Amino acid sequence: MHSNGFFLKDVAGFLGGYYSCIAIMNGIAALILWRKKGQVGWALVWTALAIAMMVLASLALSASPGMVPALPASVRSLVNRLSGPMIYTLGTFALLAVLFVFRSFFVKPMVAWGILNAMLVLMGLSMADENFAAIVMKPDNVPIVGLVFLLAFFTWLATKQAVVNDDRIARGLPTVEKENDEKVLVWPDLVYTELICMVAVMAFLLVWAIFLPAPLEEPASSVKTPNPSKAPWYFLGLQEMLVYFDPWYAGVVLPSLVVFGLMAMPYLDFNKKGNGYYSIEERKFSYLTYQFGFFVLWITLIILGTFLRGPNWNFFGPFEYWTPYKVEVLNNVDLPQMFWVNLLDQPLPKAPAGASGLVQAGYVLLREAPGLLVMGAYLLLLPPLLAVTVFRGFFAKLGLVRYMVMANLMLLMLTLPIKMILRWTLNLKYIISIPEISLNF
Amino acid sequence: MADKKKMSVAEILAAARSADGKGGAPPSAPQAAVESEPAQPAVEKPAAEKLAADKPKPAAKPAAGGARPSTADILAMARAKKEAGGEAAAKPAAAKPAAAPAAKPATAKPAAKPAAAVGAAKTGVQRDTASILAAARAGAKPGPVSKADAPTRPAPKPREAKPAEEKAAPPRTVATLPSKPLKPAKKGEEAEDRRGFLQIALGSAMAVGFSALAVTGGLFSLGLARFMFPNVLAEPPSKFKVGFKDAFPSGKVETKYVPQYGVWVVNGDFQGLQQIYALKTVCTHLGCTPSWLEAEQKFKCPCHGSGFYKDGVNFEGPAPRPLERYAIRVADDGQLEIDKSKTFQEELGQWADPDSYVTV
Repeated sequence: MHSNGFFLKDVAGFLGGYYSCIAIMNGIAALILWRKKGQVGWALVWTALAIAMMVLASLALSASPGMVPALPASVRSLVNRLSGPMIYTLGTFALLAVLFVFRSFFVKPMVAWGILNAMLVLMGLSMADENFAAIVMKPDNVPIVGLVFLLAFFTWLATKQAVVNDDRIARGLPTVEKENDEKVLVWPDLVYTELICMVAVMAFLLVWAIFLPAPLEEPASSVKTPNPSKAPWYFLGLQEMLVYFDPWYAGVVLPSLVVFGLMAMPYLDFNKKGNGYYSIEERKFSYLTYQFGFFVLWITLIILGTFLRGPNWNFFGPFEYWTPYKVEVLNNVDLPQMFWVNLLDQPLPKAPAGASGLVQAGYVLLREAPGLLVMGAYLLLLPPLLAVTVFRGFFAKLGLVRYMVMANLMLLMLTLPIKMILRWTLNLKYIISIPEISLNF
Repeated sequence: MADKKKMSVAEILAAARSADGKGGAPPSAPQAAVESEPAQPAVEKPAAEKLAADKPKPAAKPAAGGARPSTADILAMARAKKEAGGEAAAKPAAAKPAAAPAAKPATAKPAAKPAAAVGAAKTGVQRDTASILAAARAGAKPGPVSKADAPTRPAPKPREAKPAEEKAAPPRTVATLPSKPLKPAKKGEEAEDRRGFLQIALGSAMAVGFSALAVTGGLFSLGLARFMFPNVLAEPPSKFKVGFKDAFPSGKVETKYVPQYGVWVVNGDFQGLQQIYALKTVCTHLGCTPSWLEAEQKFKCPCHGSGFYKDGVNFEGPAPRPLERYAIRVADDGQLEIDKSKTFQEELGQWADPDSYVTV
């Protein structure tokens, strides 16, 4: 639970190497900037950082509890206390919004380099915490750490190109892609590059498999489920979705909608701009929709499922010990219960004993009337309403059929965050709940 | 004019390069195209118009006038049209290669520009790889080769080598077509028969192949289905005894039968009645095995966090309905006997069934 000598001895070697790597990285960056001239100020900044990292590395290698650089305990407990699924999701949402709005600031190379350094140092400091290290250094979870950094890098790269292009378009210049549209031959240029990449990745995977082997566990048993029981990392977003929905919806309908939605994209996209070059300004709607679906509804959920969901699928702060005895007081309520019992203060409509199937069905429909009405309004009334207000231009350009497909895909995608927020705020379990026929929404 | 030999890849590339204005000397083939007399750019358009005018429109008439045309009729008419077009194209065939370079007389880029001019003049599209290649080929052998070219050359020229023959033959067809629609139709039927034979031959080969595939697949599935009925079934018996009632004091959740049988035996109260019941250890959300948390007096699923009270009723997480009960009874020797072949679901009102519990 708390940092002890044994743990620190284990992690000290790693941290020493880790901080040294950051130092070397910054040293090289400083050298390159120094050679370029004109960037001397930044070169000095990174040199100073490299020296600071060397100091941290030697402190970490001391492996004594007072010396290893770590976050203060008060900060860690504050982070633990603040973190929760609600804050996490809304926080990532806000973070992405900030990154989007101020993208022309964040794509500056020096700013990005500073953020990368901050991320690395923060991770190194957190790593001195036993609970954090136990989760992050688990062989299963290492790829997710890589994913965080790789995704950040590639998103930054694409955004940078888009920002540059947007700027050029605004000034009436041709895009970068148009200006240097030098083409290379598939054979041999591309094929050789691919071959080299293939060999390099293979070698990398072999080394990885040797140093971080997959854990061997006890034989599988249908009556013994590991706690926590986690899907493969790429399905952890789906597993998180399953917390809020019935399996038929979160496990079948929503994933299929993702696939069909991606397939429908070429038919729904009437914007001919941005074809063959990076641009955000010219395709804001497509860009934001995609990034929302990909980052907020997929990647951040994977990260949440990997690092923050512990035993019994409870939410744990990043520095919290994963105890299977954590008590979270939840009492989820269905919408019919809320409506009939809590609001109207009367029992749920229930068919009298011995009623025929038809009468029972009628009572079930009456019981579920609020949920059915809400869902009906959401899926049937909202699209036309949006067509005459927010999406007026879209409706004109897409036509009825394509507009309805697009609007329904959007609305169904939004069911996930809406339901998540309703669960956290109102403890709402299901909007429509007909367990008699396993239909819950 | 242009030589008829097929162009090598090198020549096509060279032509494409020269089209970009960066390459070296144009190869022989495009040169041949340039050598031809530069004609007025306007020549091209009249030629195209003439083509349109020469097109045997009447060919379509008989079909429209009478009943619906048969496939044979349509084929025959299409063929007649083609030949007529061929005849008409015989003339522009000579003029085209000359007209095309004339559209852009700048001799530095001789090969590709004609096609580009032709394509761009009509469609306004930018020069693409297809049209560059087409232009390279056009230098060697005039003819419609790319999509960009197509609009300006509506009629193919199948036999431009023998224009004299064509001139003699097709007019007869064109002239007779409106009045005697049957004659070409007959001609078409013959041709169709020959193709029909091919279709039947090919079709039957396909039919044989797919039939064989279907039969093999069917037999294979039957073979697989055999594995659904193994000779020996190693399963614990669905009925088993768990001891006497007094082994289950009030409020106790017995978890020792979970590993072997997947069942919790609980002595608890459900709706005010003290009962002993057997709960199935399968979460009603996605089928994981929840664990019994003694301190919190609840079943908690490790997969998605569903929680159930001691009586099996769901209260937290996504589980949509209570845990299921197995049949339980007091056997003749006084022991409790659980029958896993029968389950009882609360949401269907089956927990009222006396088979689903034993009163204490």
